[in-house]
Amino acid sequence: MVQYNFKKITVVPNGKDFIDIILSRTQRKTPTVVHKGYAISRLRQFYMRKVKYTQQNFHEKLSTIIDEFPRLDDIHPFYGDLLHVLYNKDHYKLALGQINTARNLMSKIAKDYVKLLKYGDSLYRCKSLKVAALGRMCTVIKRIGPSLAYLEQIRQHMARLPSIDPNTRTMLICGYPNVGKSSFMNKITRADVDVQPYAFTTKSLSMLFFLDISGSCGYSIAQQAALFHSIKSLFMNKPLIIVCNKTDLQPLDGISEEDRKLVMEMKAEAMKTVIGQGSEPTNEEGVLLTVSTLTEDGVIAVKNAACERFHVALPKPRDQKERPACISQAVLETKAKQAAEKEKRKTEKDLEDENGGAGVYSASLRKNYILSNDEWKEDIMPEILDGHNVYDFIDPDILLRLEELEREEGLRQEEEEGDDFEMDGQELSPEEQEALAEIRKKKSMLIQQHRMKKSTAESRPLSSLGLDPSLAINRARSKSRGRKRERSVDRREGDDGDAMDIYDNQASKKLRLRSTSWSRSRSRPPSEVVPGEGLKDSAQKVNAIKLAKKSVLKRNKNARRGEADRVIPTLKPKHLFSGKRSIGKTQRR
Amino acid sequence: MATRLQFENSCEVGVFSKLTNAYCLVAIGGSENFYSAFESELADVIPVIKTSLGGTRIIGRLCAGNKNGLLVPHTTTDQELQHLRNSLPDQVVVQRIEERLSALGNCIACNDHVALTHTDLDRETEEIIADVLGVEVFRQTIAGNILVGSYCAFSNRGGLVHPHTSIEDLDELSTLLQVPLVAGTINRGSEVIAAGMTVNDWTAFCGSDTTATELSVIESVFKLREAQPTAIVDEMRKSLIDTYV
Repeated sequence: MVQYNFKKITVVPNGKDFIDIILSRTQRKTPTVVHKGYAISRLRQFYMRKVKYTQQNFHEKLSTIIDEFPRLDDIHPFYGDLLHVLYNKDHYKLALGQINTARNLMSKIAKDYVKLLKYGDSLYRCKSLKVAALGRMCTVIKRIGPSLAYLEQIRQHMARLPSIDPNTRTMLICGYPNVGKSSFMNKITRADVDVQPYAFTTKSLSMLFFLDISGSCGYSIAQQAALFHSIKSLFMNKPLIIVCNKTDLQPLDGISEEDRKLVMEMKAEAMKTVIGQGSEPTNEEGVLLTVSTLTEDGVIAVKNAACERFHVALPKPRDQKERPACISQAVLETKAKQAAEKEKRKTEKDLEDENGGAGVYSASLRKNYILSNDEWKEDIMPEILDGHNVYDFIDPDILLRLEELEREEGLRQEEEEGDDFEMDGQELSPEEQEALAEIRKKKSMLIQQHRMKKSTAESRPLSSLGLDPSLAINRARSKSRGRKRERSVDRREGDDGDAMDIYDNQASKKLRLRSTSWSRSRSRPPSEVVPGEGLKDSAQKVNAIKLAKKSVLKRNKNARRGEADRVIPTLKPKHLFSGKRSIGKTQRR
Repeated sequence: MATRLQFENSCEVGVFSKLTNAYCLVAIGGSENFYSAFESELADVIPVIKTSLGGTRIIGRLCAGNKNGLLVPHTTTDQELQHLRNSLPDQVVVQRIEERLSALGNCIACNDHVALTHTDLDRETEEIIADVLGVEVFRQTIAGNILVGSYCAFSNRGGLVHPHTSIEDLDELSTLLQVPLVAGTINRGSEVIAAGMTVNDWTAFCGSDTTATELSVIESVFKLREAQPTAIVDEMRKSLIDTYV
């Protein structure tokens, strides 16, 4: 629930104080030492900070003012109207509006000057710009000085307003001065009434119009009636009670005929409001009450009438049907028994405590089942899926049957394989077998012949065209192409030996030796020991290779950097190339 | 006689339990404290059944029932249904409803004779309610709230409704239900009445935050202690009416 407590609004300083507060804070909270010799960017930054900081502070201060003062449109209409009556809504809104405009102006000024400061080219100019910026901000504040003063006055006044919660039940006591409103309040507040604001929160507003029938307050009944009629429109649809006070001085029966007429008129008006509310106009006595605050006569009656908001709805019978309560006989019996003796039942809690406490003891949910046979309690509850008992669809020996089937199938397959094998040998007669062998031999012969033909020149149409078919023959699939290195031109030349003879034996000795062993060394298996590696035999080398692979396996798997990876070291480590060296040495930083 | 208790540090006992004149459903908790509070009060008379509904513990908000029957939402599993069937006496009908609004406890408020329901409930559901629970069904709202099951609690002897219910509404509801009604709160000002308490014709269980004043209103209006509902007005107004100084 919204609390309307205006005591918490922070103090609004007047224009001059405002400026002092902000500027002194800027002075205290931002650096103050600056030298002409500083880099220009540093100078600019120094002054920009001052401007920005000042603006921020102004913004914060003004924002708190705007936020903390209640917005008339947002608060409860009761308070809205109250504030309007007290301070004039327009004036109040105008003041807050000015504060808001000032806030916007500040940010604009700060933005402009920060922009200008970016182009400041000396300490002096930067400083001048700062001074100008702060000066303009202060001028803005000076201009809203009256608004600030006005808001401060309002704040002080609002802090003294009673904190009323307009959402709770409210009673309005009205009447001319000195008719006994305060005495009535004193009387009823001294009554011993417990304050329970939360139990029942039916919203309502009831009105008590106090009437001094003795006229000792200085106003005649006619004047009071005039007041009543002038404000009665405000009481439309609200419970209204006219209270005739000071009956100790002048009983109601004893007033003059004219006054009585006026009082009756007022009563009739009050009745109308009651009817307008929708209630039945039966309780005529509830509208006009007499009271004497001096003798406390009727005070309680007035209080009760005004507070008659609590309602128990009792049913009106709508048909002849009986709707009895259903209380089992056992309850009544136990109630009777309870009166006689208090028997303690052993509850689940006691069982739990005996059997290890909460978290250890697990109570059976089936203990209290109501079944015809107690032995059924622990029966396994069927698993039901989509309205079917799952167990109905389970074959208990399905695995056995599957096994049986598989065995059967295995047997059949074996039989079939045996049949195939025997078909070749058994179903052919010796002559047929011979013929088969002959056919196969002929077939393989044909294939061989074809291959021979393909690898020679005769079959090629190229030779008949007068072209050399050797390239095509070499490209034929049946011929191995040899190792790639051996296909190179100079290798083949070296191979045939004739070309080598051109060189002198001595000159080409090294070359020759290497070239003959070249292809083998390339394809050397990794386990082969090369002299100079420092390994005893190939077994040791294999071991070493294995170990090496194992050591990098984890790192490679995680894609971590290893020693073989390319690294660009930090070429100019920052710590060696930056920093002040005011008094220290050039080498040591 | 009204009892104050808690379910695992929550005062919303009406969420975790369902009390009727023929049985009492209680959520399965971490310890037996909550269950035993019901057990010691009721187990001699009616079955007190630990159960879940649809695997949840908020059974009081999910189901609706009276001495004639119990309506459970479509989320209830077959095992839970079987468990309830085994635990409840035979004359109590258990029915699972295919209703879109599955929090039946929030949508239906009933005693043994009359039920108030959510205005958007299916017509079929309405018929099922009338058949299974044996009640007259009225589509109603309480103080503008359509969740009638949450904002009121009533037995055959009295009822408590949302505190903002107007006097005209109170009178109308009272005439429909044929029981005395009072607007009030539970659990130190909570307006979700049925979440904070569960009641039948001879006993009530309230959240432990309930104040003495709220408790005495409950005991009077539900006639739990030989008191008449009019006692609220006659004797207790002094402590109930808030004065404004």
